[in-house]
Amino acid sequence: MYSAILLAGGKGTRMQKSVPKQYLLLAGKPVIIHSLERLDELDEISEIVVVCEREYTATITQLLTQYNIAKEVVFALAGQTRQESVYNGLKKAKNSMVIIHEAARPFATINDFKRLIAANSENALLGYSIPYTVVEGDKKLDGILDRSKLINVQLPQKFSKSELLQAHEKAFREGCKFTEDASLLFYYEKSNIEIVEGSNYNIKLTEALDMLIGEIIYKEYIARRR
Amino acid sequence: MRTCVITGASSGIGRASAIMLSQTREYDNYALIGRNIKGLEETAQNMASDINVYIINADLSTPENLPHIVDEIAEKYGTIDCLLNIAGYTEPASIFSTTYENIQATYTINCFSPFILMRECAKYMKKKGGKILNIASTAGMSPRPGWVSYASSKAAMISISQTLTEELAEYGIKVYCISPGRCATNLRKKLAPDEDPSTIMQPEDVARIICNLIGEGGNCIDGQNIVVRQKIK
Ligand SMILES: NC(=O)c1ccc[n+]([C@@H]2O[C@H](COP(=O)([O-])OP(=O)(O)OC[C@H]3O[C@@H](n4cnc5c(N)ncnc54)[C@H](OP(=O)(O)O)[C@@H]3O)[C@@H](O)[C@H]2O)c1
Repeated sequence: MYSAILLAGGKGTRMQKSVPKQYLLLAGKPVIIHSLERLDELDEISEIVVVCEREYTATITQLLTQYNIAKEVVFALAGQTRQESVYNGLKKAKNSMVIIHEAARPFATINDFKRLIAANSENALLGYSIPYTVVEGDKKLDGILDRSKLINVQLPQKFSKSELLQAHEKAFREGCKFTEDASLLFYYEKSNIEIVEGSNYNIKLTEALDMLIGEIIYKEYIARRR
Repeated sequence: MRTCVITGASSGIGRASAIMLSQTREYDNYALIGRNIKGLEETAQNMASDINVYIINADLSTPENLPHIVDEIAEKYGTIDCLLNIAGYTEPASIFSTTYENIQATYTINCFSPFILMRECAKYMKKKGGKILNIASTAGMSPRPGWVSYASSKAAMISISQTLTEELAEYGIKVYCISPGRCATNLRKKLAPDEDPSTIMQPEDVARIICNLIGEGGNCIDGQNIVVRQKIK
């Protein structure tokens, strides 16, 4: 059994909206509900740990009733950084295996979750090839990266809770910051982390334009699913 | 075991649909919601004998209790797979004679209560899919002087159905909307008292279309306002 950790702590400043993006309506329902409904459908998940700001727990609790989410949901407080939020979520999770997902990725499908869960390795991530060229540099080009060796790291990801917690504690002691957990775990534990093929529909809603693209993805990819 | 919830089954189109649908064996359990218990019992007596019927006394002009009723049906039968919003009300009057009570009652019975039933039943259909059918009317599609509350409430029902078709598609819940023309029932008598009922559609004509839409298998005409009208009699 898995505990799902759903990261919903972002403030959405890049969207320039007064409401954080996970509560904006996408295809008529709050962004966070898209993921909660998916997680609620998965038999392999026994609890959902929602990591959010304290002032949003009441809003989410009300949404859970309105959308008839049956699974047990507990809350963990969002930290100053994404890394701290995951750490807080891990400490609340009851099961020995965790799936980490983020509310800002509403298009991970049931099938994506199932393939991730079915991966042989305990630790796995969804990853997708990078369709454009990425180079190193700031104001001037500093180096060339080989696109064929690069992977776009997506969520959801799955981990052994104890291994990931241990790595987080090391990172905390050393004050090291990572943008996501597969890199953190790899850095500290050199763990075997499997890459399961993701999809380019599984976008992260970051900027205002993503909400427009999201409406199209929902119509063509999610609503026509059945 | 599959469960179908029907309003308006005490007479007219609702009764004919309940009886005809029960014969298809598509659903095992039927929850009939209405005020006229005697009428509902008569309907139940004419339905197939090997199905379960649960008669619920409820007035759709007070929607507050509907969520509780839906929970009760789901608890009793374990699932809700289909909802037929057939009940309807009309009190034809000109603008100056239309009271607030008239338009409020008409909208409550024709739109608000069906909406609450859709919302509550959809909560139970979300994980496995389901079917919802709403009855609007051709009166909701063109101006009808003297029927302002009824016709506009039916126009609202067309829009509610179209909007919710899109919102519920992801869950595999199909929403159908039919707009019958003139059909020989008590409600029609109120709208056109002097009409000879034998010259217009019969409730069974509309019921047949309803059974086709929500019967076995799926079909792709959800989300459209399906006009059921007899051109020549
Ligand atoms: N007949 C037509 O020409 C025509 C055309 C287009 C659309 N329609 C629509 O078809 C639907 C069925 O009507 P019908 O023509 O078959 O007329 P009907 O025989 O008079 O049936 C109306 C049904 O609505 C129910 N109803 C009315 N007020 C209610 C309330 N407050 N609470 C609960 N149930 C209530 C009645 O049940 P109880 O008495 O048990 O409460 C009855 O079963 C209606 O929505 C109507 O608008 C009819």
